[in-house]
Amino acid sequence: MPPKPHRLVMDRVAGYADEAAAYLRRRRLTRKPFARVYAEGGEGAMHAPESESGRALFLAAARLIDTAR
Amino acid sequence: MFQHVADQQGSEVPATGAPGPDRSQADFAVARFRSLSTEIRGCAILGPTGILAASGDLAAWGTAAAGLLEAADAAAGGAASQTHVATEEGEAYAVRLEGLGMVAVTDRFTLASLVLADMRAALRGLSRANPHVVREAA
Repeated sequence: MPPKPHRLVMDRVAGYADEAAAYLRRRRLTRKPFARVYAEGGEGAMHAPESESGRALFLAAARLIDTAR
Repeated sequence: MFQHVADQQGSEVPATGAPGPDRSQADFAVARFRSLSTEIRGCAILGPTGILAASGDLAAWGTAAAGLLEAADAAAGGAASQTHVATEEGEAYAVRLEGLGMVAVTDRFTLASLVLADMRAALRGLSRANPHVVREAA
């Protein structure tokens, strides 16, 4: 017996919702702290937290985030 | 967030005829920026002479904003035009445009490109309202 049409639509919507939830979970898990700075010329560079510049950026950002509380 | 059309009518800070970006104009820009999204925790705008407006304590925001801008300049080896630092506690942004600066703090996982575009739009509105002073400072 074929499934009722509304059941097909509900299954499809539930499938999309599951995919979206999984995408968000993956994004949260994989996204690590980072610092990115763009110079006036437009070129950007990542600064790892272990580097001197990265440490300074993360410290300054933490102070700013604390200020916003 | 997010102001889709930066140059739409009504997106500019109203000009008051004052010679430079004054506190009320900057306060308006801060309030407008914060109203764009509940994910924005706070922000501050800096002019050529120091902090103009903030969503909280001016002195605290001024110190913290200057710290981030200095760290960004040191990292860039010159003037940094924009900065994005994502931490576990939230995300910090800094933008410089036409002699003005702006910093903002948002929740985690905001869309950086939209936040930065809205920050630039806020600064552009302020600089348009005060073209002479901002151009001289730049």
